[in-house]
Amino acid sequence: MTGKRVLVVEDNVMNMKLLRDVLLATGYRTLEATTGGEAIQLAAEHAPDLVLMDVHLPDIDGVHALRRLRADERTAAIPVLAVTAQAMHGDRERLLAAGFDGYIAKPVNIRELVGTVRQHCDAHGQPGSGATPRPSAES
Amino acid sequence: MLSRIGDSAVVRAVGRIPANVHTKLLIAFLGTAVLVIAIGVFGLRVLAQSNDRVVALGALQERAAAYGELQSDTRHIRLLLAENPGRDFFTVWPIRTPRRPAVAVDKAVLSVLARIRPATLPDGLGFVPPTGDERLLRGIRLTGARLTTVMREQIRSTRDAAGEYQLPRRHRVEQLSVELYQLATELANRTTATTEAVIAQNASSYVSQRNRFVGVAAGAIAAALLLGFVLSWSLIGPIQRIDARLAAISSGDFSGRIEVANRDELGALAANVNRMNDELRRLYMELEAVSRHKSEFLASMSHELRTPLNAIIGFSQVLREEMFGPVNQKQAEYLDDIISSGNHLLSLINDVLDLSKVEAGQVELEIHPFSLLEALERGVVMVRERATEDGIQVGLVADPGVDVVEGDERRIKQVIFNLLSNAVKFTPAGGAVDVSASQVNGEVRISVADTGPGIASEDHDRIFEEFQQTDIGVAQRDGTGLGLTLSKRLVELHGGRIWLESKLGKGSTFVFTLPVRSVRS
Repeated sequence: MTGKRVLVVEDNVMNMKLLRDVLLATGYRTLEATTGGEAIQLAAEHAPDLVLMDVHLPDIDGVHALRRLRADERTAAIPVLAVTAQAMHGDRERLLAAGFDGYIAKPVNIRELVGTVRQHCDAHGQPGSGATPRPSAES
Repeated sequence: MLSRIGDSAVVRAVGRIPANVHTKLLIAFLGTAVLVIAIGVFGLRVLAQSNDRVVALGALQERAAAYGELQSDTRHIRLLLAENPGRDFFTVWPIRTPRRPAVAVDKAVLSVLARIRPATLPDGLGFVPPTGDERLLRGIRLTGARLTTVMREQIRSTRDAAGEYQLPRRHRVEQLSVELYQLATELANRTTATTEAVIAQNASSYVSQRNRFVGVAAGAIAAALLLGFVLSWSLIGPIQRIDARLAAISSGDFSGRIEVANRDELGALAANVNRMNDELRRLYMELEAVSRHKSEFLASMSHELRTPLNAIIGFSQVLREEMFGPVNQKQAEYLDDIISSGNHLLSLINDVLDLSKVEAGQVELEIHPFSLLEALERGVVMVRERATEDGIQVGLVADPGVDVVEGDERRIKQVIFNLLSNAVKFTPAGGAVDVSASQVNGEVRISVADTGPGIASEDHDRIFEEFQQTDIGVAQRDGTGLGLTLSKRLVELHGGRIWLESKLGKGSTFVFTLPVRSVRS
């Protein structure tokens, strides 16, 4: 097991539970934030290896939170993936243009999610976990 | 510059006159007519004065002629008297041969004198002489009468005294004849002077009359032009402003208002345009708000439906992947059903949202030139896996001329994929799906033919309506029932058409066209 730490930012309890359980079951440790503010604080304190960021959040939205993470030198280098139900035409392009390192549309495909997470964590010095496909386009 | 003059205070004041355009025009035309009449009347007066002077001049000339005759008679008397010299006092005339005084000459003088009296009276003159001339004429008459008396005495004495001249009588004759001549000359000169004065007065009065006429005419023309100018600008100005406002409204600018001071039909028109503008702005803003609300609603609907679907599909996948322990065959089957139904629901959500965006006119086509051939090949590749699994041949034939077309590539691909996946879905094993593209009459025609069960002709139109599937389609429990509706809308947005050629049991061919030069939506 890699033991890498993934910060999950998600305000929906069910979806948080899904992401947490999948990540734990595939050998990651998780940090959990339900708001953008909390996410920024946790990221600064714990320097996770990856952030899975919901875009629609109760306080500041994911794009804003991403900008704050990038502005802080402690968190600027952490890859951030958008995991969002904003999956209408143009959303993917908009979010990638906003600076997210990847885009996963909800409902997520579990295999794809795991593959993408693995890919970004491996890029941070843990090779050998196997090649995985790029996140798919919205269906 | 003209329009600035046209916006002057005078023009605005005319606009504010509370009379309708008809009345204003009538008044303006009447005013112009009055001015023309004024010019005419003035001209007639000038003509009449000029005619009066001509008549007066004619009378003067007549007088001058009559007086000239009088004068010439008196001179004639003097000449005759000179022909009949006295013995030693007559030196006026050169005497060629001394001779005796002739009674005949004196008689001639008498006959000339007889003409003078009638020539001084109105009947003889042919006109009533002016009072100034009357005195002289009377003088002439009197002197003539006296001379006649003396001449008669002379003739009588000449006979009696055997031709002796009576010197004192001769002096008297001389004196009277000179007086007579002087009076006639004075009369003639007087008339000549009057005539000259009248001619001079005519010349100067012609200049002043001409100047006055030119002045009046120029003034009247200027007044008519000013009247026309002011009135026409009081009409044109508002029309221009209303026109500009209408042009702005038709290009979607509802921000302005027309300022028209007119209290006539144009003022009413401007007020109505302003009211229409306000009403349109209100409706436009309402529409905008509705449209914005609808977009926001669609976006949040998509978001809200996807969030629980994420948990449903996600947890099912976690179980199906046996991340937390094995599931039995039945459980695995049910999980697959949940996942597949979840995905079906997701497609429905996508199609419904897509369709409502198209219906709400919120789909902006991104028109670019793109390779139709490539799009068709992509579509074929996307369905080939499933087709091969089902034992179906998929072929693509395109005319050499067909390649780059103008359109929204993503939307056209969506249509191609929809038609192809339908065709593969309904074609039985061993069948074939043939895609072809050709250029016909300035449009590109793409057809997707299958060897499936076909569609009865009465269903050909219905098939493009929402949630209308054939019995076979319903039985397949696959597909949303919105694919063809969406395809039809998208093709029509491009300015193309879509239709179906099929007979029950003979397969189906779906055809759609794209104009070679696509119309921007």
